[in-house]
Amino acid sequence: MVFSSLYFLFLYLPAVLAAYYLAPLRWRNAVLLVLNLIFYGWGEPVYILIMFASIAIDYTHGMLVARAKQHGNDKAARLAVASSVIFNLGLLFFFKYWDFIAGSLPAIGLGFMPKLGLELPIGISFYTFQTMSYTIDVYRGDAREQRNIVTFGTFVTLFPQLIAGPIIKYKDLDGQLEQRNHTVERFASGIQRFMVGLGKKVLLANRLGALWDVYLATPGADLTTLGAWLGILAFTLQLYFDFSGYSDMAIGLGRMLGFEFLENFNYPYLAKSATEFWRRWHISLGTWFREYLYIPLGGNRVGKARLVFNLMLVWAATGIWHGASWNFLIWGLFYGVIILIEKLFLLRQLDKLPGWAGHVYGLFVVMVGWAIFAVEDFTALGLYLKAMFGFGAGLMDNTCLYYFRDYLPTLVLAAVGSTPVVAALWRKLPERAWKAALPVLILAGLIWSTAYLVDGSYNPFLYFRF
Amino acid sequence: MSKRYSIFLTALFCLFLFGFGALHLALPDRTFSEQENRNLAQFKAPTAKTLQSGKFMEDFQDYVTDQFPLRDSFVALKALTERGLGKRENNGVYLSRDGQTLFAQFTAPSKDDLAQRVGYVNKLADNLSVPVYFSLIPDKSRLWADRLPANAPRVDDGSTIAAAEPLCSDQVCWIDLSGALHGDDIFYRTDHHWTTMGAYQGYLGLSSGMGGSGAVFDYPYVLRSDSFYGTTWSSSGASWVKPDELYSVIPEGGEYGRITVTSYRDGAPEAGSLYDESFLEKKDKYSFFLGGNQPLCVISNPDAKGGKLLVVRDSYSDALAPFLALEFQEVHLFDLRYNRTSLKQYVEENGIGQVLVLYSLANFTTDGNLFLLGR
Repeated sequence: MVFSSLYFLFLYLPAVLAAYYLAPLRWRNAVLLVLNLIFYGWGEPVYILIMFASIAIDYTHGMLVARAKQHGNDKAARLAVASSVIFNLGLLFFFKYWDFIAGSLPAIGLGFMPKLGLELPIGISFYTFQTMSYTIDVYRGDAREQRNIVTFGTFVTLFPQLIAGPIIKYKDLDGQLEQRNHTVERFASGIQRFMVGLGKKVLLANRLGALWDVYLATPGADLTTLGAWLGILAFTLQLYFDFSGYSDMAIGLGRMLGFEFLENFNYPYLAKSATEFWRRWHISLGTWFREYLYIPLGGNRVGKARLVFNLMLVWAATGIWHGASWNFLIWGLFYGVIILIEKLFLLRQLDKLPGWAGHVYGLFVVMVGWAIFAVEDFTALGLYLKAMFGFGAGLMDNTCLYYFRDYLPTLVLAAVGSTPVVAALWRKLPERAWKAALPVLILAGLIWSTAYLVDGSYNPFLYFRF
Repeated sequence: MSKRYSIFLTALFCLFLFGFGALHLALPDRTFSEQENRNLAQFKAPTAKTLQSGKFMEDFQDYVTDQFPLRDSFVALKALTERGLGKRENNGVYLSRDGQTLFAQFTAPSKDDLAQRVGYVNKLADNLSVPVYFSLIPDKSRLWADRLPANAPRVDDGSTIAAAEPLCSDQVCWIDLSGALHGDDIFYRTDHHWTTMGAYQGYLGLSSGMGGSGAVFDYPYVLRSDSFYGTTWSSSGASWVKPDELYSVIPEGGEYGRITVTSYRDGAPEAGSLYDESFLEKKDKYSFFLGGNQPLCVISNPDAKGGKLLVVRDSYSDALAPFLALEFQEVHLFDLRYNRTSLKQYVEENGIGQVLVLYSLANFTTDGNLFLLGR
């Protein structure tokens, strides 16, 4: 089930809120667990079984790690952590990467893996990472083991963040799972946040996506330079509003249920370097890889050769996490190389430049990156990049003029919306003004989002590859 | 935020969600949307099978979307908003500069696809010993290009028809209609079809292409409806567009009273008529002409001078048929989509003298039944 759908907004969500708040406090995790499973099973009912398996196995591993530690048996604890990591990565590998590898091996003469053609369980990359971090944190002593399997199940399946993040670590949610404050103030702030996200997704991202689709479908040989940049600008904005919109909705829904999730985005397009971009974009993923991969590998405190290796490994993993396809791997390595160069010397040079030059550099790197991310076919990607760098079918054509004019107001709105300007203006409003404006905005947001969903000609879910 | 204010916001939000959710459950479901001219999705009770395969969930999503309370108003609001945000296209429909003419987008076929399609017409001409004429009706976006938004892509720029002509074999007589159609009233603003006036201009072009001179008549155009909203309007959501007027011209009865129409809707002959007035009360007013799509329709006029003409038709031919009936003793309208009789056999058995393959450009480049031409 996705948030930006009519049945979610008008049937499932009311049912969730009613069931959740009518249930007595001590039953609420159990109620939530059932509702989570319905949410998850809606798309692919059979895969509820994966949820049950994940809950049971990760719960057991958490207990095993805790018990081994209690007995001072570090070896057994490590073994249990390894077993948990193997299970979660195995699950991810089996469903997500099997066919990719099976399809790639014959190219080097190894054709022994048959393709399975399994549907990718939605959100699997998010929840396997969450549960993996749980056992690791129990081992590290950063989290207590959860003894109540219902509570643990609620964590694993928590629907607001189940299918598109943010990736929530157990240690950040531990206390809230046991006890959370359900106040109307928190609920109301959840509503605001949810509406921001819904508007971003339905009113901006989907509309921008329609423009990107035009350029994705344009044969590479017909792409002009300005057309290719217009297309990738649309994708750049679409992905931000879609993904951060989803995170906003997750955070908002979390608050409605009494949870407080960590932020996932911080105006990523303000970044003046690739390094900074990844501190602002999908923060929960970046910190996950840093905590559970980069730092265990030695982080920055290693020799240069090892640093290169560490960075490439982390960024290859980050890339391929986004989807089982070569272009995602290349996209990850693209960031690996640029971040390495920035670490070695470029950041110091960039600091000396005026601010605007840093922004231009940052956006340039990010937009070229998105082209690699968004165009999966290598031939098409080659032609797209060629067009972006001036070797396409000319500078511009009538089509690009048409779309530029057609989408100009939307692009301007989106560009302004991707900066902190709107939020800053909002905070400057006197209390009387925002108090009057807020209900109007919420109502207008609901009406317009509904209108765009009712006439839902274009409403993609972008994370089905994750 | 104070507690009272929070309660107020929460109540507002919940009222909207719960309210529309409850309305959706309480209101009776509609079967047909007049505005969109299509059947709406219905609730299908889940079975173990549809639940497991996820089919139920897919259907349910369509059902909720189609039956959502105030659906038509929401669709209109979205179209208005898109226009307000400077967009000149919504759901694949362009809006003219004055906001009153709607154009469905046109996607040009690939070279190979077009060659294959014209190849079927060539095959038909090879199969038959009678003359085969072939013509394509240009799209509205070509003839009214001045009303389109500047630089609009995905319109008919004339290149497809220009490319089709040289693909025809020597056995096919190509008739170019591009020069025959002009004026402000040749197409409906809200529909893809040509108007009665457009069909008459088309008739003159076709007639001269087939060696005729065009039948002369002095009947006035009679307004039959001033509230026609076509299919392009239906998908556009552009509720502000004014309806079209719909005219008839050749009267039944009187001097040409001997025109008779025989429809073969289910294979058996039944009396038809050039105009079916019952459709003037319905949404689909264009079906006023001949009563809409049918596998075969034969129009006879013993007073006419020409022989027997077979038209491989799409719906544009329905508005054209009354004019053809002035010139030909028999006009056979043959629809490949619903008629699986072999064309060759039909032409031979019925003593057809000439065959006209006439399609609108959009239909010719998308229809999946053209291969039947060569059978």
